[in-house]
Amino acid sequence: MATVDLATIGVTEANELLRRYGVEGEDVEVVNPDARHHIGVGLTAPIALRVRGSAGYFCAGLTDGPRVEVDGNVGWGLADNMLNGSVVVRGNAGAIAGVAIRGADVVVHGNLGSRAGQVMKAGTLCCGGSASFMAGYMMYGGRLVICGDSGEQVGQDMTGGTIYVGGKVVSLGTDAALAELEPGEEDDVLAFLGRYGVPFRGQLKKITNAGRNLRYSRTEPRVRAIPFHAAADRTDYWNAKVQEDIHVKAQIGRYRIRGYGATRPLPHLNDLAFRRDLGSVEPDPDVVSKVELATSLGGRFGATPIELSMPVMIAPMSYGALSKSTKIALAKASTLSDICDNSGEGGLIPEVREAARRVVVQCLGGRLGWSVNAMRQADGVEIYISQGAKPGLGGQLMAAKVTEEIARLRGIPAGIDLRSPSRHPDVLGADDLVIKVEEFREATGWQKPVSVKLGAGRVRDDIKIAYKDGFDYVCLDGLQGSTGAAGNEVLEYVGIPTLAGIMEGLDALEEIGATGMPVVLMGGIKDGIDTAKAIALGAHGVAVGTSAIIAGGCIACLQCAVGQCVVGIATQDPRFEGRYDVDAEAWHIHHYLEALRWQLASVVHAHGYRSVYELSRGDLVALTPEAAEITRLPYEPDHAERALAGAAGLAGVGAGHGLPRGEVTG
Amino acid sequence: MSERTFASPPEPDVYGPERVAPPPVPPELASRDDVNDTHYVPAPCQVACPIGTDAPSYIAHIWEGKLEQAFEAITATNPFSSVCGRVCDAPCEPACRRADSDGPLAIRNLKRYVMDRLGATWRPEPVSVTRSETIGIAGGGPAGLTAAQDLAEAGYEVHVYEQTSVLGGYMTWGIPAFRCPPEVFREDIDRLLARCPGIHVHLDTALGRDVTLDELKERHDAVLLTIGAWWGKGVRLAGGEAANGRVVDGVTFLRRVNGGERPTLPERVLVIGAGDVAMDACRAARRLPGCRDVKVLYRRGPDEIPARKDELHGAIEEGIEIVYNIAPVGVATGGDGSLALRCVRTELGEPDESGRRRPVDVPGSEHEVGCGLVILATGQKAESEHLAELGLMADEKVRTDWDTMRTGDPRVFAAGDGAFGPSTIVTAMYHGHRAAYHVKHFLEGDDSPLPYRTPYRTRRVPVAQDADWEVFPREHQAFHGLGENPVAFPEAESVYDDAAARREAARCYRCDAETGSSDYSVRAREDIFVMARTGPGNARKQQAVFTRRLAAAGRTHFRAEVPTLDDLVFLPANLSRLVIDPYRDACSVSARLGVALELGAPLVAAGFDDAPEPVRRAVAHGLKELGLAYLGRRPLGHHDVRWIQLLAGGDEAHPEAEAVLRIGPGAPPERQHGNQLVGVAATAAELPGAIPAALEHDLDLLLVDGSGGLGGGWPELAGAPDLTAIRDTIRIMRDLNREEDLAILWFGGVRSGTDVAKLIALGANVAAVSLSLALAAGGRIEAGDVVFYGDVEQAERDEQAALFLTALRTEASIMPRCTGKTDIRNLEPEDLRAISLATAAATGIPLAGRNQRLAGPAPA
Repeated sequence: MATVDLATIGVTEANELLRRYGVEGEDVEVVNPDARHHIGVGLTAPIALRVRGSAGYFCAGLTDGPRVEVDGNVGWGLADNMLNGSVVVRGNAGAIAGVAIRGADVVVHGNLGSRAGQVMKAGTLCCGGSASFMAGYMMYGGRLVICGDSGEQVGQDMTGGTIYVGGKVVSLGTDAALAELEPGEEDDVLAFLGRYGVPFRGQLKKITNAGRNLRYSRTEPRVRAIPFHAAADRTDYWNAKVQEDIHVKAQIGRYRIRGYGATRPLPHLNDLAFRRDLGSVEPDPDVVSKVELATSLGGRFGATPIELSMPVMIAPMSYGALSKSTKIALAKASTLSDICDNSGEGGLIPEVREAARRVVVQCLGGRLGWSVNAMRQADGVEIYISQGAKPGLGGQLMAAKVTEEIARLRGIPAGIDLRSPSRHPDVLGADDLVIKVEEFREATGWQKPVSVKLGAGRVRDDIKIAYKDGFDYVCLDGLQGSTGAAGNEVLEYVGIPTLAGIMEGLDALEEIGATGMPVVLMGGIKDGIDTAKAIALGAHGVAVGTSAIIAGGCIACLQCAVGQCVVGIATQDPRFEGRYDVDAEAWHIHHYLEALRWQLASVVHAHGYRSVYELSRGDLVALTPEAAEITRLPYEPDHAERALAGAAGLAGVGAGHGLPRGEVTG
Repeated sequence: MSERTFASPPEPDVYGPERVAPPPVPPELASRDDVNDTHYVPAPCQVACPIGTDAPSYIAHIWEGKLEQAFEAITATNPFSSVCGRVCDAPCEPACRRADSDGPLAIRNLKRYVMDRLGATWRPEPVSVTRSETIGIAGGGPAGLTAAQDLAEAGYEVHVYEQTSVLGGYMTWGIPAFRCPPEVFREDIDRLLARCPGIHVHLDTALGRDVTLDELKERHDAVLLTIGAWWGKGVRLAGGEAANGRVVDGVTFLRRVNGGERPTLPERVLVIGAGDVAMDACRAARRLPGCRDVKVLYRRGPDEIPARKDELHGAIEEGIEIVYNIAPVGVATGGDGSLALRCVRTELGEPDESGRRRPVDVPGSEHEVGCGLVILATGQKAESEHLAELGLMADEKVRTDWDTMRTGDPRVFAAGDGAFGPSTIVTAMYHGHRAAYHVKHFLEGDDSPLPYRTPYRTRRVPVAQDADWEVFPREHQAFHGLGENPVAFPEAESVYDDAAARREAARCYRCDAETGSSDYSVRAREDIFVMARTGPGNARKQQAVFTRRLAAAGRTHFRAEVPTLDDLVFLPANLSRLVIDPYRDACSVSARLGVALELGAPLVAAGFDDAPEPVRRAVAHGLKELGLAYLGRRPLGHHDVRWIQLLAGGDEAHPEAEAVLRIGPGAPPERQHGNQLVGVAATAAELPGAIPAALEHDLDLLLVDGSGGLGGGWPELAGAPDLTAIRDTIRIMRDLNREEDLAILWFGGVRSGTDVAKLIALGANVAAVSLSLALAAGGRIEAGDVVFYGDVEQAERDEQAALFLTALRTEASIMPRCTGKTDIRNLEPEDLRAISLATAAATGIPLAGRNQRLAGPAPA
């Protein structure tokens, strides 16, 4: 047995050693742990690890296979997301012990802190003593055994799994209920307790989900979207859309759910124009080769950066919201265009990993499909705090799309209206987040860039925290960002527009002298012109989601939540998914990205610049009073006319006849 | 004109540069062109149609059951709509975006559905001759007659010279009756002639035989040659001469059959070629007496076959065998009179100029296929010795310049198959429109008009609201094949019934229609589609899209002059306000007015004093369910709902009311008992006087009337509420340092729970819901009023009212939850941002994204 002495080396070095011993198959003893955080994080070998003392946060977190014993107590997040193996703690555990475990045995001989087993999916979390409040909070599966008392609101919002309480059930959480034990069930639990030497004499009570809250009770009538302009005129207060909303709500008794982002007109990048008259610049067929667009992201703390052939990424979108075929097409297109894909919620599926040259894996509060193995496979790791479409709320995946396969990948029961948690169990404030980011760094040996995805709200404050919490870069998503399913009111009225978001973000970083923090802007980016404007404002790059989906055949009917997507994109039903031609759409998306590249290069070249990063605020003007106030750019509405005139100059490219006349479209 | 070049028609491309940079449409077509409508982009089907048929509109009209409107959309550019409903090549269908998922819309069948119902009986308004010039048109096919109609509609007298005894051209002689019966051709022609009395028809008058070009030029101010491509090109088959008339060309064969002949055929017939003529010929042969076995021989494979899928499918269904990768090399005749086709097998080589792979003979594969008749359907050509002598022919066509539609003779125009080679009926009509356009300009003395462009119209028909639009599979017409008496050529397919037509119509994606998203509008979406279909090397198209996208900034600005609740957004909790709770919808929304009036949500209902009793009952039911109260001059009188009395005029305060509010002039109400709340109502203008007075009288409540018209009718119909009222309420009370001393009840413009939450964040304690609840309870806005119909059961009305109020409560709870709060009462102005300057000014809420430190004080 090898020994690692934390009195002499730091945790990062220790974890590196542990991983090395793991590869060699040698058991390890950690002495002088001094309640340090992250002991054993990222260990994926089936070795025994003995901690001679107490451990801090995330002990044995993000692991797969080790057998860990801790002689003393542990801080919060014990065995975070552990896939296999076991952890035995002789003393007590802090909050959220066994958070998001997916198959391990986690045994605490003493007491559990609050929210033990939060969002756990499988495995067993057990304590010999009592639990604090909200044990089994939002658990999706597995079993939680509390030999003592349950604490308040046990099983709060659980959707699956079983909780056994040996002592007093202090109070039941929402939608949790006491249930009869099946024959043999008690014997199984007692055998487990026997195996780990947890003494127990008493009568087990069983708690399961009551099933009252797993599905919306009323189905929303399916109507095709009213054209947005029917509701865009602010003088028409009781317009057709308002009336339709009222009628639908009078049938379902709740907010409406749909796909896409904010649909009403908002201040946006379209309200800016380039000062220079780009329409009159002579087109150059080789423009792409004449400018520098390539960049990289993620090297601030020594990780291997993500190389990009242009400052564009595929926005995070989940397998679940999208069909597997669509995810593969996006991954292929990202490879063809030499940029970077993103898993979105729900895990990195092998098909996407294989098709994408580069891919970032996202970690959300529900830890659905999340694992240390996915982190290792990915080129970057991203913590999702919120998104532009529904900041402040969790994701939604309606039952029609929660198939057996999706449920298995995510570790949740099939066929529920999945409402993902809106917060991370282990991130309640900025200080927790620092430790969480460190956990990710430890699990990946500080090799992978760690980014944060933020929906634009109080950006001025949020982005400073993100900077100080040690992220490599920030993905900032505005109110125009889309989703596969969210409540209409949240989509329209929570969060600030993309343009406001980037301005607040950049101003705030400047205030603290943190200008080296790259910001990737998303939320309604459609083309190379939007990309160029975002970069001119100060973004490092952009991500495209909806536009890439449209390039791949989406018709923007906004019915993504229904699950029977007519083009096979937002569906998990093979009858509909079969309509999607992966290779054809991958090429369409690739061509779209290349057209975006062409446009971006054209803007750069037309300015006489060599690099995309020579674009600056000085190249832009504002076309609306709002855009001018938000961006502090000069208000020059006349530039709009010039853009139109530019289009007029090009109208009739196919006609080959003299000077074209008349009006044009744009 | 003499040394001019003769341009050819361009290859059609639905996603070509014209889609993002449409050439300007000539002024006289502008009224029929909508491409400048920001909320419209011609759908792929419409662009694929050479004559720009507004298919999305007529399909949507079919779903609505408005067949007359559908008929108008169909026939607007297509004088042969009835014919096209049956036999159009339908280039729209392969272009249909649904073709990529579960099969294209059956656009042609839907057209037939409309035309079968209305085509025979519709009598259009005739147009009269208003001009002195006349035009002679040689050839009465679809190109000539389309041009004739356009010219007649422009007021010209037109003379059509037709070499045969009927109008219709090759289509009437080439298309067999089982696909399109003769009466259908007549139907279209009769309609056309009824519309255009200025068209004079000269039948049995062939150019060169009965009339010369010079004579036409003498009689008319301009001449249009639409002579068609009536003659089979044939391939010279070695030994064919010895076959003794047993090798025939397909065009001639069909002409005989369509002329009424029903020759007895040998048992085995071979058809060479696999285009539409081949399909018609093989299927016609299959129906003739004697014939039992028909094979179609095609030198390429199934993927290259030019025949339309439907026709090919029909042929196969009727027992015709399609033999692929085979080419004839000669005919072998035996001494016994037997006949065989000598053939070789082929394989596909490199693509030829048409993009299809060129067939290459397989050496040593020659073999014989026995038969009794060979029909050659391998292409058509125009023929006119007369025009050839005049030097107007070249390459088996009338030599014609595509850009001007002129021939080598400056007063002679040409169009259709005869000018540009064999094509489809719909292409011939397109040529007719083009030719008429150029003839008109010529007659008007305009030598260089703007290039012709097909106009694209939309009738802006709402999208079909069919819940199963994603699910319905493509509807097929009933197929009858040969029928009971094949030689009579009964129609092989029959039209949809109403239900099938409606299901098929519901499938339309409506690529032309505006989306529900201003951000991903129809234009943005279609531009992205074009981007996705543009190769990186296509610089011209890349530049066209680039310019179009640049122009988007010139057009789609944010404009928001009217302050409205819509232009307020909530700031979500992210990193800066992280909380454990609440994860789910749970958030306390209960409210209290004054000290006594507890409410299940910060809501009351108002405005139903004069509503019908069933509506009042439903509102009462909803209020009772949620523990809410009613604000009005009289109580609802159902379900014991608590009452906040509005005192107007000489009304007496009622002791049973939980609260009493004076509206309009008059003394503040007297408290009737200890728990009763008292207050006054005020509009924005009345606030400066009303608030100090209310405080002076120690009142409990201030009803802020944002509608400005509370007390009768439906004042909210006037539009957005005056948000300065809530802003000023809080400012005045704050200035008096009495901010907490009056409970604020807001009235005006509440449509959703989000509106409620915003008003509470702005300073209201409770919001009244009125018009929106009326709509939820079955009311409809009609002619500036709200009308209730008795077509709703009481239970349903009750449920609607309760569900709507429940939805408001749910929505109202979500907003504080998103901001990280667990009680709606904790919402505050700091949770909001404005997204328009007007709303920022009216509410005092800062504009999102604005940096006051750097941008200076907010604009007034």
